[in-house]
Amino acid sequence: MQIQAVIDAAVAEVGRVLLGKEAQIRLALCCLFARGHLLIEDLPGMGKTTLSHALADVLGLSWKRVQFTSDLLPADILGVSVYESNDGSFSFHPGPIFTQLLLADEINRTTPRTQSALLEAMGEGQVTVEGETRQLPDPFFVVATQNPIHQSGTYPLPESQLDRFLMRLELGYPHAKAEREMFQRQHANSVDRTPLRCCIDREQLDTIRQAGAAVHASDNLLDYLQRLVAYTRESPEFAVGLSPRGALALLDCARTWAVMHNRGHVVPEDLQMVLPSVASHRLVPAGDYAGDGAALVALLQRNVDVIRA
Amino acid sequence: MKMLQQVPRNALAWIIISMFTLLAPHAGRIPVWIMLIYLFAALWRIQVYRGHWSFPGRWVKLVMIVSGFAGIYLSFGSLIGLEPTVALLLTAFALKLIELVSRKDAYVLIFLGYFVCITEFLFTQDLLMVLYSLLNVIIVTTALVALHQPGEHRFNRKTMRLAGVMVLQAMPLMLVLFFLFPRIGPLWTVPVKSHTAKTGMSDFMKPGDISKLSQSADVAFRVQFEGEIPVKSQLYWRGLVFSKLEEGAWSNLGYFDVPAKERRQQEVVTKGEPLNYSIIMEPTQQNWLFGLRYATPDRPGILAAPDFRLYSLVMIEDEFQYQVRSWPQAQLETELSDWRREVELRLPDNDNQRTRQFASTLRAQAGSDEAFVDAVLQHFNREPFVYTLQPPLLPDVDGMDVFMFDSRRGFCEHYAYAFTVMMRAAGIPARVVAGYQGGEINPVNKTVIVHQFDAHAWAEVWLPEEGWVRVDPTASVAPQRIEMGLEEAVAAEGTFLSDSPLSPLRYRSIRWINQLRLRYDALTYQWQSWVVGFDGQVQFQLLRDVFGEISAGRFAAALIGTWALVLLPVAISLLRRREIRPQRPLDREYLKVCERLANLGYPRQAGESAADYAARISRECPDWAESFNRLTGLYTELAYQTPVSAASEQQFHQALRQFRPRKGRER
Repeated sequence: MQIQAVIDAAVAEVGRVLLGKEAQIRLALCCLFARGHLLIEDLPGMGKTTLSHALADVLGLSWKRVQFTSDLLPADILGVSVYESNDGSFSFHPGPIFTQLLLADEINRTTPRTQSALLEAMGEGQVTVEGETRQLPDPFFVVATQNPIHQSGTYPLPESQLDRFLMRLELGYPHAKAEREMFQRQHANSVDRTPLRCCIDREQLDTIRQAGAAVHASDNLLDYLQRLVAYTRESPEFAVGLSPRGALALLDCARTWAVMHNRGHVVPEDLQMVLPSVASHRLVPAGDYAGDGAALVALLQRNVDVIRA
Repeated sequence: MKMLQQVPRNALAWIIISMFTLLAPHAGRIPVWIMLIYLFAALWRIQVYRGHWSFPGRWVKLVMIVSGFAGIYLSFGSLIGLEPTVALLLTAFALKLIELVSRKDAYVLIFLGYFVCITEFLFTQDLLMVLYSLLNVIIVTTALVALHQPGEHRFNRKTMRLAGVMVLQAMPLMLVLFFLFPRIGPLWTVPVKSHTAKTGMSDFMKPGDISKLSQSADVAFRVQFEGEIPVKSQLYWRGLVFSKLEEGAWSNLGYFDVPAKERRQQEVVTKGEPLNYSIIMEPTQQNWLFGLRYATPDRPGILAAPDFRLYSLVMIEDEFQYQVRSWPQAQLETELSDWRREVELRLPDNDNQRTRQFASTLRAQAGSDEAFVDAVLQHFNREPFVYTLQPPLLPDVDGMDVFMFDSRRGFCEHYAYAFTVMMRAAGIPARVVAGYQGGEINPVNKTVIVHQFDAHAWAEVWLPEEGWVRVDPTASVAPQRIEMGLEEAVAAEGTFLSDSPLSPLRYRSIRWINQLRLRYDALTYQWQSWVVGFDGQVQFQLLRDVFGEISAGRFAAALIGTWALVLLPVAISLLRRREIRPQRPLDREYLKVCERLANLGYPRQAGESAADYAARISRECPDWAESFNRLTGLYTELAYQTPVSAASEQQFHQALRQFRPRKGRER
């Protein structure tokens, strides 16, 4: 199997509905291949939901969508036991979480109680309802979207829960050319309405996932990773540095990224490509640092020498 | 409270430990209730930490402060003076603990701890105490280190190791400062130790005083001779000369008791070889010093009195070292002035009539002064006089009559007293001399250790042509006292150091204890002569020996130079620490190429990977693109891929040789 070709096809397929966002699509795929959950954060109307739908389609996964609201309860996601009057017993009605890809829309609009029910399921891969533990299907992905936290009526996820997401993506405004194309299609009413084709089947998904573990990370690369991590812990710009889990996540994603580009070894560029999405939500700037997570990552990448001097 | 202001558990534990170890050496000097305050404060603070109790309110604190002051006033009778002030400091130190809320308070406590540690030296500068204080410094430093380990939520003994390393690292600097930093005179005077008893000889003597002193095993002073140590029986350390006898007690002539023209010492004709020696005295809170017969001081601040004794202008409050030169054969005061003769012959009226009568009779029989002296000594020797550490109490009036004719039991002062009275009654100028006799020779470093139990009193008589001659009546009664020392002399009685059962001196017969004791004493001597006695004068001497003539510039250069010598290794090791591991040869080669390109104006950015850099170079200077891309490709392969083939390595080195970027080839 030509992994790169398969992935290129999948990216192109998603690109049909999300114009000019190839980099983000690749990162989102990388996240899912690395068995991580994805958080997409941006303002309303930037294509968050579109991207998550498209991902489910091209991967051929069963998917469900939950719109998180302030009155959503854990049972609404996990499921509930209902009394059956016919045979006088309780039967479990599974909630929307029992699916391969769960789209959790606007996760920061719901209460922390419901958020934590979801996040626990993400961490364990199983849910416990009424004392009974039920296994979630495999693969199980959560793609959550959230509005930037400064909007009113939101419950921002704490750092500890942000850490459960392998990557956080920001979509950003589309490129002028892509936006123009979007307008033209809308105007011509010539949107390609055919549903997205499944490009990566279950077998291919497993192959990609397994290939990631076999990718070689040389001493030089691990040195670089350690220097990056050490910088976040020592530099005064950071209040909280990268945890060992964060560092492992970085390495996992870099390995997957290498697989996606048909390489059996990781090069520093792999690490640099995934670094912003993996690290920015795990880093906390120090009190007097003006920039946000993204600026911190840029600073990090700029100041840590790739080759040990 | 903010996380940063909290005092970690580890730091709190170490602070409390340090408070108790700092308190321990003061324990003998402070009332028991202060120790109870320490326990109480520690308990309170621990209960606060456990959340059971709360911090004291303003009124409670005020009450505690006031009662602390009141307690010290009641215990010491004053708030001024060394001991009350230190007690006040210690009490405040304890009370501050229950006020320990944030880091700021912890700093106050820790720095106060260092200060408390120093106060111990106001009382003693003993070697063991210095070692203990070093331990205290390490413990207080441990608390300081623990305060800077915010993550440490459990008591951690390893912190102490770090603090110990830090203190050890500071040692060389301490030595530099000790030897080289200018000794500036004290900026303030330490309050007098009002409550420590004066020790050793007192300036007046009643029968019974010296036998009491002889119960003590404390060291009075240590002597180091240049050359041979004279025989023990010749070691008469003169300290005080008692010329006045009033109401049954002998006392010293004060400065103003002597008429102005008599205040200068008479010229002395020296005979024979002098003895040179240095003496280190333990503090006595008194002014007089000790020396062998006809001692001349070798240091400013020490004066010689007209009765040939030495005294210091300042009270001896710390260990005190001085050099002396003595001529044991010198003739003292061959011409006696009328005033001096009158003073040295004066006896109280109507006292000890029987003794005086006896003396007059004996003098008439003897024929000459010398014969009379011998006759009196013979009397002591022949009659059943007993030398004892437990003499019976004598009445204030006619005490010598009781001693001479009834009890006949006495210690050295009784014999010296009786002898001098008899001499004066017979018209021979005489006086009592008090000091120490003999001493223990330490074979380890050849010092003479003089203990308090070596205290002795003897007499001096003035004979025409000869001047003042030493006569020791005790030698006639108990010659072994002079030959062997007190222990032998009272061996039959078993009273030697009977009040101090734990003194190592009592166990001299056990070989290893004695060895240990003598070795430690030798160490103490070294300590006292090198460290405690290291004052401005000695420093000046040392610097002159090492650097020749001293100028301000040379001194500053020496100070800064040694400082640098000590700190440079530290600085170098700190700088070297930055480099984590040496580079791999591959990276070194590649970075050399990068450096070459940087010199040509195309530096690699820190965050730029090799491939990114190659892409940029190819864009900016297409001439080098091909060879540099090849080089970079090989480098990337070698650096990140596995397995590395020997062929690639060869190719990489080939590419290195081929890649020769030059300025001229730029476009």
